[in-house]
Amino acid sequence: MTVKPGDVVRAEEGEIYDIELEADILEANRRIAEENRALLRRYNVKAIDVMGSIGSGKTTLIEGMIKLLKGRYRIAVFKGDLTTTIDAEIISRHGVKAIPINTGKECHLDANLVKKALNRLNLEEVDLIFIENVGNLICPAEFPLGSDKRIVIVSVTEGPYMIIKHPYIFMDADVIVINKIDLADAMRVDVEKLRMDAERINPRAKVVATDCRRGVGVREVIEALNL
Amino acid sequence: MHEYSVTTQIVSKVLREAESRRAKRVLEVKLQIGELTFLNPEQVKFWYKALVKGTVMEGSKLIIQEKRGLVRCLKCGYEGSFKYEDDPAYHIAFPTLLCPKCGGVVEIIGGRECIIENIKMVV
Repeated sequence: MTVKPGDVVRAEEGEIYDIELEADILEANRRIAEENRALLRRYNVKAIDVMGSIGSGKTTLIEGMIKLLKGRYRIAVFKGDLTTTIDAEIISRHGVKAIPINTGKECHLDANLVKKALNRLNLEEVDLIFIENVGNLICPAEFPLGSDKRIVIVSVTEGPYMIIKHPYIFMDADVIVINKIDLADAMRVDVEKLRMDAERINPRAKVVATDCRRGVGVREVIEALNL
Repeated sequence: MHEYSVTTQIVSKVLREAESRRAKRVLEVKLQIGELTFLNPEQVKFWYKALVKGTVMEGSKLIIQEKRGLVRCLKCGYEGSFKYEDDPAYHIAFPTLLCPKCGGVVEIIGGRECIIENIKMVV
């Protein structure tokens, strides 16, 4: 059978095309996150996200965990900030590899930035990576990075309603840390109420109260992460 | 929160599709935005209008359909939308990962999408 010119289906001049696309715009980041996850798995490296507000105690919590875990794991820290290497220097004083990721003006890390940071590491020399996100309770929830577990930390100095006001990021958490409990009375914040909010929004997560400055509760955070 | 960058990606994706079909004009773009994204439809519309100026998409209609978050119960198998807890102390209803049917723990299976579902164009 020959194909005659008349058999060809052509769009007429001015015809309306209806195109089903089903293209997910946010998929690009998720795809890179999955690549990161596969890479980490190949080298048997655990990665933990640490997310929370500005000043909630993310870096102090990581410092506390490093002190307790340094003997058992070869640790690296990715330190997300808009700018500066201040925190990365604080972390590197503990004798672990700290890689600052400066986002410029972006309010969150994305999977591609983490991929670039992973390329800077010799993954054969690392067992555990803490990925500290930019201080923010909104945007980091939109951009998975490829980690195994996610910590979301909130401190009593942010007031009594921080968890209920940002339910979505807490839904993604494996461990929810309520920090600065030593300041709860001064702030007139009920730690138990915060804990209940966390458990109501995410009954799957383990909730740990801490005073990271003094190392209180840090061991429980590590246990909650199964490290 | 990232309406500008996401809308930029939407517009350039649609423009690529339009170009590959040599479209003269794009009439309509249908978008689905999941409840669990941090995209505000109002702002997406605002940036869309600004970004399509001077392109074959100018004047096209952007239809945004909001998709509810979808969960599956690990205990009873319930599939559907979130349970919202209404706490009079807070004056808001907030979503929880508790199963609305059995009170078990649910996992999120949908609602994080931002999908270009359909484009209508004149060739």
